[in-house]
Amino acid sequence: MKQEQEKNNLISRKKFLRMCGTVAAGTAAVAVSGVAFRRLALRDASCFWQIDPHKCTFCGRCETHCVLPISAVKCIHANRVCGYCDLCGGYYRNNVKELNTAAENLACPTGAIRREYVEDPYFEYTIDESLCNGCGKCAKGCNSFGNGSLYLQVKQELCKGCNACQIADVCPSGAIGRVAYATAYRLKDEE
Amino acid sequence: MRKYSSALILLFCSFLSHAQNRFPKPDFESGYQYPTFRYPVPDETVWMVADLALLVLLMGIVAWSVIRKRRRAPVVLVSVFSVGYFGFFRTGCVCSIGAIQNVALALVDTSYTMPLVVVLFFILPILFTLMFGRVFCAGVCPLGALQELVNVKHYRLSKPLTLVLGLIPWIYLIFAIGFAVTRTGFIICRFDPFIGIFRLGGDLGMIVFGGLLLITSVFTGRPFCRFLCPYGAILSLFSRVSVWKMRLTPSCINCELCHNACPVDAIRPPYGNKVKESRVQGVKRILTYLIFLPAMAVGGAFLLSMTGDSVSRAHKDMQLYDMAVQNEALPQNVLPLELEVFYGQGGTFEDLSLRSETLRADFGRYAAIAGSLVGLVVGLTLISLSLKRTRATYEIDDAACVNCGKCFNYCPQNRINVKPENKKQ
Repeated sequence: MKQEQEKNNLISRKKFLRMCGTVAAGTAAVAVSGVAFRRLALRDASCFWQIDPHKCTFCGRCETHCVLPISAVKCIHANRVCGYCDLCGGYYRNNVKELNTAAENLACPTGAIRREYVEDPYFEYTIDESLCNGCGKCAKGCNSFGNGSLYLQVKQELCKGCNACQIADVCPSGAIGRVAYATAYRLKDEE
Repeated sequence: MRKYSSALILLFCSFLSHAQNRFPKPDFESGYQYPTFRYPVPDETVWMVADLALLVLLMGIVAWSVIRKRRRAPVVLVSVFSVGYFGFFRTGCVCSIGAIQNVALALVDTSYTMPLVVVLFFILPILFTLMFGRVFCAGVCPLGALQELVNVKHYRLSKPLTLVLGLIPWIYLIFAIGFAVTRTGFIICRFDPFIGIFRLGGDLGMIVFGGLLLITSVFTGRPFCRFLCPYGAILSLFSRVSVWKMRLTPSCINCELCHNACPVDAIRPPYGNKVKESRVQGVKRILTYLIFLPAMAVGGAFLLSMTGDSVSRAHKDMQLYDMAVQNEALPQNVLPLELEVFYGQGGTFEDLSLRSETLRADFGRYAAIAGSLVGLVVGLTLISLSLKRTRATYEIDDAACVNCGKCFNYCPQNRINVKPENKKQ
């Protein structure tokens, strides 16, 4: 009889401890979620990685550090900022001798920048995004010699939206940050 | 030519300045129109809702099939779907394991905000675990599901090895939280072994590591879940005290088949404790061990706070500071890129040394906290070694059990119970 009672006690104590544990764990979970929900960014949830073109230094790490085989960062051309120059710092390499379209004269290593004659002396530049690898060589040239109409942006349909952007980790100027849906692109045209 | 030379001069004047409108907007006479480009932003809301709905639905299916129906087949289907959807289609981000870091950072840093989906991915599996055990691990987590699906045979590792390797998730968790709250980086995301496989590309080293883990998981169950996953460590705390639990078949005949089948060594065989010790004696013994626990914590805190300074070198700003110190000591013509940009943005060495001071203090503090936690984890593991309970039957270790339901198919009694038609034949 005594043994049986002891057994009963044992079980009830175990059950009691377990119940205490459940309640404690539940409280902890609720407390953590309560605090976490206070840190929510609901209305302007910053879900998208984007480059601030005014901070970018065109270091070229966007090309090499994206988790994608070909970076989600592409060059974007703001036509309304462009000077339509013949001698384009983004199109031609530094100290180029002859202004022709031979590959050794062009800044873009993949030939992603095309140009078309508009009228004397203006040329329209367009970027073939399927060729662009986001190296930023053209943007560097354009920003040092020209109006800065070529600049780098994260293409949102390509970006995987990693929890921790690998490019942002190595960006020397801290130009990459989370932005909200409404400002998912920072277009120079619209400034 | 004039344009060219002026441009050259401008280059020398301002390398980093945002020189806009060096050249005026052209006046087109041919009626040229500016082309318009559209940059569509994919609306993620639909996908987020789908992700969350599927997360809840899949965990519900696993809970229903494992707790209620005691069947494995739905779990396999969930695993296949989860690897396909959460793994290969949604390519793994955001996941519950990585969300630990966002939540930890948000708890410490009031200025940090995160989207709803991250919070829910963190908290929903915990709530489900509190109710039904680790149903998230069973097959909803694509990482666990992938390992489970390739698993052919479970060769059991030796007990000491399992014990030592089992400490890694806790230490990993402590360090990941430490690195997250100091804004050093999200190491769980960086060292995710399977994301490269899901994305079919990425960091080669991590893909190789993921491949090795997958090959290992062919021969032994879930190496990542057992010996690496920090979220599994958190969930194991909650599954210990879950409301509903995985149970052995009530009419167990002690046949050992489930014990052999379990991929996470969660089914403990019967055990006869040979040490003769009264209950009071045992309790006293454990209490004496517990006295050493604070000593372990303090020791761990001391040891790790010694390394705080060198660990702080993982932070971006500390690396920058080191570069600056090097440059101050021995000025170079060509600055490292980071330093060049830092000075270009108007930063000074004084700012940097101030920042490094605060960072060092932060790291010292967090390293002490991390060290005491590591000490606690190691101490508790050691104490748990001395807990020897006599078991008359097989028992499920609720913390380790991932609710995969593999044991059901091996249990002769369970089959009879589940399919009454077999009994008739």
